[in-house]
Amino acid sequence: MSQYLEVHQTHPEPFSPYELKLSGSIQEIFGRGVHDLPGLVSGLNDLGLHAPDGSSWTQESFRDEMRRMGR
Amino acid sequence: MTTTDTTTTPKKPKPRHAVGTRRTLTAEELSAYGLRDRWYPILPSHLLANGAMQKVTRLGVDWLLFRDATGRVRMLEDRCPHRSAPLSAGQHLGDRVACRYHGVQVDGTGTVVAVPGMPGCALEGRQSTPSLAVVEAADAIFAFMPLTEDSEPTPFELPDRLQQEEHSHFLNYVEWAGQWRFYMDNVLDPMHGAFLHGDSHSMSGGDTSARFRIRETDRGFFFEKTDQRGKNFDWVEFVRGAMDHVDLEIPYGDEAGPGGPFGIVGMSVPIDADNVAVFHWRTRKVDGWEREVWRFLYRTSLEEKHFAVLEQDRSVLEILAKDADTHEHLYQHDLGVSRIRRLYKADAKAQAKILAGEA
Ligand code: FES
Ligand SMILES: [Fe+2]
Repeated sequence: MSQYLEVHQTHPEPFSPYELKLSGSIQEIFGRGVHDLPGLVSGLNDLGLHAPDGSSWTQESFRDEMRRMGR
Repeated sequence: MTTTDTTTTPKKPKPRHAVGTRRTLTAEELSAYGLRDRWYPILPSHLLANGAMQKVTRLGVDWLLFRDATGRVRMLEDRCPHRSAPLSAGQHLGDRVACRYHGVQVDGTGTVVAVPGMPGCALEGRQSTPSLAVVEAADAIFAFMPLTEDSEPTPFELPDRLQQEEHSHFLNYVEWAGQWRFYMDNVLDPMHGAFLHGDSHSMSGGDTSARFRIRETDRGFFFEKTDQRGKNFDWVEFVRGAMDHVDLEIPYGDEAGPGGPFGIVGMSVPIDADNVAVFHWRTRKVDGWEREVWRFLYRTSLEEKHFAVLEQDRSVLEILAKDADTHEHLYQHDLGVSRIRRLYKADAKAQAKILAGEA
């Protein structure tokens, strides 16, 4: 019997380096115990990570991005 | 001795066939291939595209899944009423399937709608292929697996976490080369979390020894540690609802963000006596930006970590001896295991009686 054993079932397409970097950075900040939105956004900026348009993250731009990628 | 009374001679019980088989099943066979008269998850919705057909084996029977032209899922025994060719080898015709062998057309209710080689044939209009009640919900296709053709589907109801808005969920589906009963034993055995999953991203915390108790509920029971909660796989609820399932929670580390532990709604459906299809919905009670971030992290990173944990389960369940559940030496951690086995044994006996015509 051939078995169904797919690791990536919710997103079969590969992620872009940008998405992976963003994901890793979010986890790094959460890992420090920072779990509020302002803390997360300033944490991303402190890490030198930019929003998609090259500017600093704001709560609005971060939420827009998550609405898109975290449906 | 009095005179013989011919009217009291007991009528010989008439054995019945289990739906999708042409024979009656013993209690042992029922517990090997899966108990009936309940809802089971069959396949994730995304694995059955619009206009597609898919053959699946469930409870030892071959079935055909197809989506009709309106997107509605149908599930028929994969067997042509004419001379038993698999319907899955045939052609999807929108609302029906045409058998490859002689072209007989069967619709979603299992009714023969055309016999092209012999129009007007008595087979036309006959509902002669078993067709199951199907519901699509929570990203999966569910079906009611009847014991006999008289079985009436019970009302369909999703487990709590899958129907409550405040819980967000992702479905994971896998197929394991192990008996379905070993899956049930495994989830009713929280203590394996501290050992088998001790080096995982989610289950490295807490004690490696514990005491457990069973707590009855009106829909099943909890099997839980008496001295620790929220540190590892510390409790499991077995629920006997429209469908048997387990509900449990596992802590997330800080890096997974706000929202507390993740929940698991677990179910399995036997493929055959030696293989099982496993459904896990990973859930989290999160809202707003926290929900979106969790869903983003789940796809980019957590899904892979969860999969690695699930592979640890598979690595053990697939190497267990076929008779692993005989001659064991159970201890206090195995109360949940003994409980679930007793329950299923009683079910198998009751269903075998019905098939034997004795109930
Ligand atoms: S076996 Fe299907 S049409 Fe004859
Ligand atoms: Fe496990």
